[in-house]
Amino acid sequence: MKKIHILGIVVIAVAIGVIFTSLQSSSTYSDFAEAAANPDTEYHVVGKLNKTVPVQYDPKINADECSFMMFDNKGIEKRVVLHKSVPQDFQKSEQIVLIGKMQGDEFHANEILMKCPSKYNDGKPQV
Amino acid sequence: MKNINYIGEHLLIGNIGHAFIVLSLVAALVSVVSYYFYSKEQLTSDWKKIANYSFTIHSISVIGIAATLFFMLFNHYYEYSYVWQHSNNEMPLEYIMSCFWEGQEGSFLLWSFWNVVLGNILRKTIDAKWEAPTMAIFALVQVFLASMLLGIYFGDYKLGSNPFILLRENPQFADMPFVQMENYLEKLDGRGLNPLLMNYWMTIHPPTLFLGFSSTLIPFVYAIAGLWKRDFTTWQKPALTWTFFSIMILGTGILMGGAWAYEALSFGGFWAWDPVENSSLVPWLVMVGAGHVMIINKNKGGSLFMTHLLAIASFLLVLYSTFLTRSGILGKNSVHAFTDLGMQGQLVIYVLTFILICVILLIHDKLIRISYIIVSLLMLFFGITFGHKVALLLGWMLISLVLTIYSYMKFFPKEEEEESLYSREFWMFVGSLVFLLSALVITYFTSIPVMNKLFQGWLYESEKAGIKVADYNMWQTPFAIIALLLVAITQYFKYKKTDPKQFLKHITLSGILAVVFGASAVIPLYFLKDYSSSSTTEKWNLISYALLFISALFAVFCNLGYWMRILKGNVRHAGASIAHIGFALILLGALVSTSKKQTISQNTSQKNVASLGDNFSAKKSLVLTKGDTLPMGNYLVTYTGKERKGIDVFFHMDYFKKDKDGKLVKAFHLSPMVQDNPRMGQASNPDTKHFIGSDIYTHITYADLSDNKEVKADAYKEPTNFVGHMRDTIFADNAIILIDSITTNLTEEQYSQNDSLLVVTAVLKATDINGNIYRAAPKYILKNNMVLPDEFELNELGLKFIFWKINPNEGSIEIQMSEKVNNTKEFVVLEAYMFPFINVLWLGCLVMIIGTIIAIIERRRVNKLKAQ
Repeated sequence: MKKIHILGIVVIAVAIGVIFTSLQSSSTYSDFAEAAANPDTEYHVVGKLNKTVPVQYDPKINADECSFMMFDNKGIEKRVVLHKSVPQDFQKSEQIVLIGKMQGDEFHANEILMKCPSKYNDGKPQV
Repeated sequence: MKNINYIGEHLLIGNIGHAFIVLSLVAALVSVVSYYFYSKEQLTSDWKKIANYSFTIHSISVIGIAATLFFMLFNHYYEYSYVWQHSNNEMPLEYIMSCFWEGQEGSFLLWSFWNVVLGNILRKTIDAKWEAPTMAIFALVQVFLASMLLGIYFGDYKLGSNPFILLRENPQFADMPFVQMENYLEKLDGRGLNPLLMNYWMTIHPPTLFLGFSSTLIPFVYAIAGLWKRDFTTWQKPALTWTFFSIMILGTGILMGGAWAYEALSFGGFWAWDPVENSSLVPWLVMVGAGHVMIINKNKGGSLFMTHLLAIASFLLVLYSTFLTRSGILGKNSVHAFTDLGMQGQLVIYVLTFILICVILLIHDKLIRISYIIVSLLMLFFGITFGHKVALLLGWMLISLVLTIYSYMKFFPKEEEEESLYSREFWMFVGSLVFLLSALVITYFTSIPVMNKLFQGWLYESEKAGIKVADYNMWQTPFAIIALLLVAITQYFKYKKTDPKQFLKHITLSGILAVVFGASAVIPLYFLKDYSSSSTTEKWNLISYALLFISALFAVFCNLGYWMRILKGNVRHAGASIAHIGFALILLGALVSTSKKQTISQNTSQKNVASLGDNFSAKKSLVLTKGDTLPMGNYLVTYTGKERKGIDVFFHMDYFKKDKDGKLVKAFHLSPMVQDNPRMGQASNPDTKHFIGSDIYTHITYADLSDNKEVKADAYKEPTNFVGHMRDTIFADNAIILIDSITTNLTEEQYSQNDSLLVVTAVLKATDINGNIYRAAPKYILKNNMVLPDEFELNELGLKFIFWKINPNEGSIEIQMSEKVNNTKEFVVLEAYMFPFINVLWLGCLVMIIGTIIAIIERRRVNKLKAQ
């Protein structure tokens, strides 16, 4: 066997390792119902902020916690506790992705990604 | 529909722009054809002339398109959609350039512009033998890029997106009232630039990065020309300089992106493994691999397949990353991918076309070649008419892969003898393979949204989310360690055969130094405090950090040793050693500044959320009230106030240090900023104090941006009502108030006898932030069954109380409290980090770029000498 073949085998082994672990470990986009069924698993929940209910944020009590109501993609509404300060332009968000776990009836998120159309292509010509 | 004579539009310039676009496309097409025939018949000078002229015309047109667009932006011609979308009247001149490449069309144009510049340099300097085949491929790429700007509809299908369409013709705004107004231009202002991009990095980062993308094209066209003409070796020498030029420029572009993210965006670091960042890093990694196998080929021959594969893959990965970032497919995964302009299909077709061309050229059997082309076209036709695109695409990829392997086995020249384990070429080859593998792993992770499109609902059910930063780091650390070890030792091998004893002798000293210095740095950094208390994964991470640290030092010492002892300190020949030192320093700086990044803003809240898991325990937001001084890391920080300059609101922070006598001495001042853009929302810009050893980075996460000057600070705010019992507390902004006791002037008996006057006094104990206690005694006065209003003002605290109700059944009382406006002090919420030794990273960048430039200059000099 040539050395180049050994290298080839190593490459293939790494490739399989990567595919296998990423399939195992990567979390999936989901909704509140699935997150509630597996409270120990971390999920990415996609949804929309309920803008009619005010976002609660009192930095004097805890600057790393805010809470709000969100509809997931199936239309289920749950209270979300985000363990971060309130994101900028939160009220303008069009879609949010939360990363976290369900605890009882609340979703606890440690990470948030927002799509704000306003920053990129909102706005119409006003005369 | 009636005709409207719009006032003040400049339609001529748009038509000129359109004409340039069409001309650039046609000229590029003519160029492809004529270079093709010129390459077939070297003697026919007619084709050569046509090819040259058409490429010149194409070049002029591309520059013409750019000039037209720039002219429109400069003159604020808002009748054009692109100008309206990306600029406005307030825009300072230096950002006009940024507007140019903010949009997709503009950035394609920038790319095309750099291609034209490089293409003209290439065709003037290239060997006559390679001119026609390389330029034919080059022109083909230009055809594709030019078509990106076309914006022509074929039925429902839109080819490209035109930067010169009029605002009123933009389908997005078709039903807006301004379309019906003759004079809509009189008051129209543009939408303006994204506030995150109003930054000098935006003026230098994209042009550099796109020059980098363009530069990957040259090794690509050489490699394709090599396959085409079945001359696998002679192209490599001229291409080598271009390859290292590409490594240098693309590397600079990526690092500028990192610097931008660190300095001006609130990522909290210089690298976040965002898909957009990854998609520029991947071609660079592959290009570095390509450069190194080409060096092997130049010095010793061989590695032919690998040179072709890597040189081609680098550009294809640029195309693929263009697809990822421009097609909108990253939607959920990246904050700064472009939005979809409906060019997804077009971009896929381009990537596939170039793969098709590569495979066709690789097959050296006419029958197989023709069958492959026919099958591919049939599959394309079938896909367009009947669907099943995913299955067809996967099938086609499989066929192409099989044919590539078959052609490699059957038609590709291979070396007879095996490389020695003690040869430089073997380890350089392994190094290139490590770079390629690292690039493939990143590509795979970044492509998860693409795989969701392809496989979801077939191989798996629920949509997969992106890979986390920690996983990227975990996967890339071993690659980095191996790469660094190879960077350290490979120079000490000679080509073909090396004396093992000699080799060991050379690297021993560097090895010992690296272990001694490394261990003495790594043990306090990673093992003294953190190790014993951390989880198993965390322990592995710490071990891998330590290994990375030591390997980086080893690489630095080895290359320094090679430069000093073997090259005797000669700079001219030391390009590679210097660049390698830079590479090792980059990784060292990245490692220390990231793994030892310290959150110095501490949340003082008592709430414990650690039970939710590791990810939840990070408390990093600090509330800083105006005038207060709070400890932060080794400093004490005071927020002194905010200041508005236009739409930028600056928050002034003074940092103090204690001197020997315990007195506070001002150390420095930071002004993190929040841009308050009325049309585009808020954007936070951090401010960083740079020291040689570390950086102090501060950014505002929450603040009130309004100026409340109009309200009188002395006035009282609206009262709030409290229902409470004895010993209950009331929270004011500046004090905690306890209902201490309640006294009356009458006994219950006296009151029941219906005496005329009842006075109940609530004794309140107010404790302010400094622990001072004040007393307030609001009175509830009842006379002849009427409550008399009575106010108690506590002037020291700016509080007012009215005790107005008693609920005898519940045993509770009700008190209204009013607070003065200036009791509520302004505050900000901020995050602050300390990045240790981040300057090692930037120094490494500089050193690597300088090293690469030295190597390029030296290679050109040697090539010239040989030519004479």
